Amino acid sequence: MKGETRTLLKLSRVLAAAVLLSACAAPVAPATPVVREVEVTREVIREVVATPTPAAAKPFEGQSINVLTIQPHAVATRALARWFEEETGARVQVLVVPYANVTEKAILDVTSGAGEYDVIEIWYPMLGNLVEGGVLEDLTQWWEENREALQFDDFVPSIAEPYTLINGRRWALPYDGDTHLLFYNREILDRFGVKPPTTWAEYREVCKTITEQGKSEGIYGCAIMGAKAPIILLSTFVNRLQGYGAAFFDQNGKPAINSPEAVAALEELVNQLPYALPDPKAVAFDEALAGFTTGKVGMMEFWTDLGQMSDNPEQSKIMGKWGAVPMPKGEGPNAASRPALNAGFALGISTLAQNKPLAYEFLKFVGRPDINVRVNTIVGGLDPTRKSTFDAEAYRKHVTPELADAAKAALSGAFAWPTNAKWPELQDILTENVAEALAGTKTPKQALDDTQAKWLEILGR
Amino acid sequence: MHALHRKTRWQVAWMVLPAILTLLFFSLYPLLYSLALSLSDSQLARPFRAFVAFKNYSDAIADSLFRSSIELTFIYAFGVTLIETAIGFGLALLLNQESGASRFARTLGLLPFITPPVAIAAIWRLIYDPSSGLLNHYLVGSGILEQNVAFLGVPGLALASIMLVDIWQWTPFVFLLSLAVLAGLPHEPYEAAAVDGANPWQQFVHITLPLCLPGVLIIAILRLIGAMKVFDLVFMLTFGGPGSSTQVSSFYIYKVAFQQFKTGYASAMTIILIVVLTILVTLLIGLYRRAQQRFGP
Repeated sequence: MKGETRTLLKLSRVLAAAVLLSACAAPVAPATPVVREVEVTREVIREVVATPTPAAAKPFEGQSINVLTIQPHAVATRALARWFEEETGARVQVLVVPYANVTEKAILDVTSGAGEYDVIEIWYPMLGNLVEGGVLEDLTQWWEENREALQFDDFVPSIAEPYTLINGRRWALPYDGDTHLLFYNREILDRFGVKPPTTWAEYREVCKTITEQGKSEGIYGCAIMGAKAPIILLSTFVNRLQGYGAAFFDQNGKPAINSPEAVAALEELVNQLPYALPDPKAVAFDEALAGFTTGKVGMMEFWTDLGQMSDNPEQSKIMGKWGAVPMPKGEGPNAASRPALNAGFALGISTLAQNKPLAYEFLKFVGRPDINVRVNTIVGGLDPTRKSTFDAEAYRKHVTPELADAAKAALSGAFAWPTNAKWPELQDILTENVAEALAGTKTPKQALDDTQAKWLEILGR
Repeated sequence: MHALHRKTRWQVAWMVLPAILTLLFFSLYPLLYSLALSLSDSQLARPFRAFVAFKNYSDAIADSLFRSSIELTFIYAFGVTLIETAIGFGLALLLNQESGASRFARTLGLLPFITPPVAIAAIWRLIYDPSSGLLNHYLVGSGILEQNVAFLGVPGLALASIMLVDIWQWTPFVFLLSLAVLAGLPHEPYEAAAVDGANPWQQFVHITLPLCLPGVLIIAILRLIGAMKVFDLVFMLTFGGPGSSTQVSSFYIYKVAFQQFKTGYASAMTIILIVVLTILVTLLIGLYRRAQQRFGP
């Protein structure tokens, strides 16, 4: 027994030592193939020529940066990375995350001290929160230095400010100029004898007419994205909010989300739900896109790239059978057809960027007018942020002149979401209450009154 | 002798110390960090901005959304646990015999358990689709329903629909563990009962059930703890909607932390949830101990 105990003790000592040593050892690299670059030097004898011309060295050869982008923009960002590498020799590692997580990833990267990202994609309503959190480099001086060379005045004015400006300082570069248009299926509307609406009441009637007659065949008048994610649900609500002439805040910056116009907008949205592709409360991007591109839906408000998707033979059954018109307007003295800057992304530089000079160079590259045209004319590209891109022949051919003009008109004077530091919290409260109104657990007035009360409490007014 | 015993104890203590320290670091440190965050006005980008004592806790208790999320979590967790335990144990009783059919059924039954949760949610999202989903297709086609139903779009029905997915996913887990419990039952009581003339039903009621009770209770407790933490199904299927009808605690805390970026407030809610769960588990473990004393070997 004593002998067994001694043996056991010896074994335990050996085991403990092994555990201790392994804990102190350097972390084991993940089991991925290790590629070692091997430099081979060879002496090459050339003939002497009169005027030898050495190959131009790429300016950033051997350097690299990491760019954080969202999944829907992976194709575009990777294309930019490739072009940048061809031009400068620098390697751009594109790190892709779901769009709902990009802000938290950027913040955690800085607060944890990891500093993994050099360039960050920003959903513009989060700009104020990122600036307050010390996540972004101040780009004001860089903007001024490059304003003329990169023609920054060519940026669509209604995008340039909300996407980049906080407290009079510049913090980002416009990247993806998102807005909504009302897309419609020409065949379906013609078949049921209706026309694209110009007001939200007309929209409801058109939707109702088509659904009542086409439902037995699985055809619905409209698809309304009401899934409970802020970027989805609030985009749908804001399209009606601005149409009724309502706003989040009044001219003095005080919350005005429960104004009569705002309540009317939400009531209109709730009244449209019974006629939309079922069930609007569960319809997000995928369901709405599938419904429209397979010819089951007569109308849908969506981002301008729906045009390209509708003409893509790999995913659409309605090629050439669609059209796009500006957002309808509401009723009342302030009603207007005024598109909203729904979604919308910019690029910023992290305060913990490991290679800031190269990050600035990448931004300079992306900010070029010719690059804006180029990235907006590839399959899976972005939406323009420059006026000149809308007029460029390549872009107009890529999306159709009709869509280019509609998108350009939509972006000019568009209704921007707030970008203050408290907006993430305010937005979540609004999303919660709008979702309750759609579910029928609160009336629209109750939902917006509750939102107003909570906003006043948060903003201390 | 006494000195040698003391020396041995010290040696053992030193040997397990690294493992204990590692465990403490990875379990205690995050808890203490959360506790500290909960007592401060913290944002994701600016932790520990100001000490606010128990303000976050009082705000959480006053938050109707948080209170309703706990209520929903309890309904969800107890509901799925009861159903999964009943079905899982029942299946184990039926298939607790060596035959080709039961072996095949056992293997098939494991499929939901070994499928990644996100894949399960994606599949069920398609099944529940109100316009082209499989469930509506067969229910309407067979005449059970008159028209398509938005399983994830109706408050009340949405929670039940998520619970169904959970039951489909986790019943095999309960089934497997129940099989293990049944395999561990002694033969002697059954032999004695047979000698005394007890029929199968009497053996089941007076021997099988009592002897299985402690094991089944532990399985139910494990499942309850897991169900209280549900997140992935809600995130993928409904995002807490329609309204807030599926907004369980873990999902609400996630929203507050990563959409509102109020990490101090989210930490306070997390600590409250931990306390609630600890009380619940303590009560249930007490129940298990009583069952163990009464019916255990």
